[in-house]
Amino acid sequence: MFDSLKKKLQNIRTKFASNIEEVAGPEPAAAEQPLLAEAAEPAPLAAPEPPAPVEETPEERVEPTFFNRLKVLVREREVLLQEKDIEEPLFELEMVLLESDVALPVTDEIIARMRSDLVGRHRKIGASVDDLVASTLRSALCGVLGDGLDLSEYIREHERPVKILFTGVNGTGKTTTVAKVGHYLQKSGFTVVIGAGDTFRAGAIEQIRTHADRLGIKTIQHQAGADPSAVLFDTVQYAKAHGIDVVLADTAGRFHNRANLMSQLEKIRRVMKPDLVVYVDEAVAGNDAVIRADEFNKAVGTDAVVLTKADMDPKGGAAISVAHTVGKPILFLGTGQGYDDIMPFSPRLVVDELLGGEA
Amino acid sequence: MLDNLGASLKDAVKKLAGKTVIDRAAVDELVRDLQRALLSADVNVKLVMQLSQAIKQRALEEEPPKGMGVREHVLRIVYQELVRLMGKPGEVALGPQTILMAGLQGSGKTTTTAKLARYFQRKGLRVGVICADTFRPGAYDQLKTLCDRIGVPCYGDPNEPDALKIVREGLPRFRKQYEVIIIDTQGRHALEENLIEEIININEISHADHRWLVIDAALGQQASEQARRFHAAIGIDGVLVTKMDGTAKGGGALSAVSETQSGIVFIGSGETIEDLERFDPDGFISRLLGMGDLKALVERAEEAVSAEDIDVNAMLKGKFTLRDMYKQLEAVNKMGPLKQIMSMLPLGGMQIPDDAYDITSTKMQRYKVIMDSMTPPELDDPSIIGGSRVQRIARGAGVSPDEVRDLIKYYKIMQRALKGMRGMGGGKFNMQRMMKKFGRTQ
Repeated sequence: MFDSLKKKLQNIRTKFASNIEEVAGPEPAAAEQPLLAEAAEPAPLAAPEPPAPVEETPEERVEPTFFNRLKVLVREREVLLQEKDIEEPLFELEMVLLESDVALPVTDEIIARMRSDLVGRHRKIGASVDDLVASTLRSALCGVLGDGLDLSEYIREHERPVKILFTGVNGTGKTTTVAKVGHYLQKSGFTVVIGAGDTFRAGAIEQIRTHADRLGIKTIQHQAGADPSAVLFDTVQYAKAHGIDVVLADTAGRFHNRANLMSQLEKIRRVMKPDLVVYVDEAVAGNDAVIRADEFNKAVGTDAVVLTKADMDPKGGAAISVAHTVGKPILFLGTGQGYDDIMPFSPRLVVDELLGGEA
Repeated sequence: MLDNLGASLKDAVKKLAGKTVIDRAAVDELVRDLQRALLSADVNVKLVMQLSQAIKQRALEEEPPKGMGVREHVLRIVYQELVRLMGKPGEVALGPQTILMAGLQGSGKTTTTAKLARYFQRKGLRVGVICADTFRPGAYDQLKTLCDRIGVPCYGDPNEPDALKIVREGLPRFRKQYEVIIIDTQGRHALEENLIEEIININEISHADHRWLVIDAALGQQASEQARRFHAAIGIDGVLVTKMDGTAKGGGALSAVSETQSGIVFIGSGETIEDLERFDPDGFISRLLGMGDLKALVERAEEAVSAEDIDVNAMLKGKFTLRDMYKQLEAVNKMGPLKQIMSMLPLGGMQIPDDAYDITSTKMQRYKVIMDSMTPPELDDPSIIGGSRVQRIARGAGVSPDEVRDLIKYYKIMQRALKGMRGMGGGKFNMQRMMKKFGRTQ
């Protein structure tokens, strides 16, 4: 995941850099003449800008008018970036983000951030342009991805049993994720019980049951068609009675535009009172990811997100979209068919990864 | 969000109206809005760029045919280009055949397999289903349960790990008895080489007549890549789009169509076994753009009827009576759920409150019965219906007074909604005419 996005971002960075470099292009010529002009100017009047290092506080930014550009160029030997200087690479960045499934509104926001961060910015002639672009892109991405969440730590800090409810639309991989998270928590030394709350889809109970049996996890189940709230309530009771650390509650997939199914989910939440509501979606989802993440968040709330099928998609734009929309941390990435194919998600690492190591 | 896009697209189209010369700026704006709408619908970025180039070029270079306004001309180009992008609906033969289902995990293969079985069964064919998903726990149970409900035999063995063996044993047995055989397979994605290997082998030993790719409507830009690899592996000759009952627009399916040079065969749009429709390009385009039925607009344009000549419908003047609602309910019964019809009207952003749609067909039937018990003056002016009239109507229709009040409440919601529409330039459209058109395309 993220490999191809990384490559593309790298290209964009060089592009930005070369465009910005071009702006600095006429440097020698421009720099020479105005020496005179500077001498002629009644110096102290317009002066109060200190020749500060590059990329600092926002107050330092000036309208990139021709005069200001010249002034800055002369006085501080810096270049003031103009909107048109970066228009082309910005458009390319936009395309790259869209191609990587970053949803349109989120892309718009990243681009806007980049633009407002870069335009009017001073750049010292000779200072690394790449650093400037990288740091801007970095802060834009970090801003969008938010912070991570360490599940083990969360469980240690909270009263047990910690109840985790999994929600999401059909076919995103909730059941598989429940099994994987169960396995992960077991490995971390917690005891786990699973509630087979998908009583609707044919074969769902058998599916979660088989997974749990293989992993040696207890499943609480009712018959197909039973009230999922009741199943999950029983699961919580079981956990309390047996001193189990974590309750994982599977639910049936449902579309966010089905009012009655969403109110069923709301009822489940009321009955089992989960500590964490985890929204599961797939990393290959496109623009709809944003809409449904938002609807689920509005209907039952979301505390964390799991993105599945991350191994299908080397780009991972949906991660950026969903994280941004919900404004909640991404807990795990699902990366394959095995029980171990689950990866805690750390936004810092991802951004580092995307922008190439130290950048 | 997309509703807004639809609205801005509509605004862009509106700007073209009444112009005699094609305005480059207006075309640019239209193309930009179109791009945004398509990108939000997950259509492949490259396809979108190609399409918008083509539209821009044609709109500026081609002379509009005589008698056709600029707006209609541009709309027609947009429509034609979109149809070209969409490809033809995939062929579905109603005869003996073997169909192999392929797709990503969780795209809805198993559910769709059962729906397809039902489709062919209803067409009078003998159908058998083979479950070659030996990996996912519960897969066989799921398919078996679904098949049992419709009385279709399902071959499989949850304890057998070898999918090839199941196909090898099941096929000859089923071929003797059944005409249509559908093979459900395990979900896989294009980067899992051993699984791709497996489906190549299944394809070989089954000699499947069709290899259909199941695509989740929400699948994003990744659709192209996945479709390309599946196509390279087994030669996809049809695309099924699932989960169209959500809010996803299914643009990913277009990428798949373009990669595989095939067509969309079916659309899955619901959780029951009957929720499978043959693909209809026009409806699909409308949905992609979040805009009314473009084809109807284009047809109208081709008849070269200028919008101003059409009578302004009383309904849109706000004189919406119970009689209108009665007619509407009757029309709705023939055409399907109200929401679908409303989404076909070029209203741009949905201005209709959700409770207006919260009406089931049984309720509609009841509403009609209640209206049958009303007098003509009451139908013309529902505001005269007071307490005693409610009692009388309820007795006449054999319902409770509450239900009569319910109906009046529903009427008021509809009336308000239609009044809201009036300001949106919808007044120029003749609703009934459009309704008729939709009736035909259905």
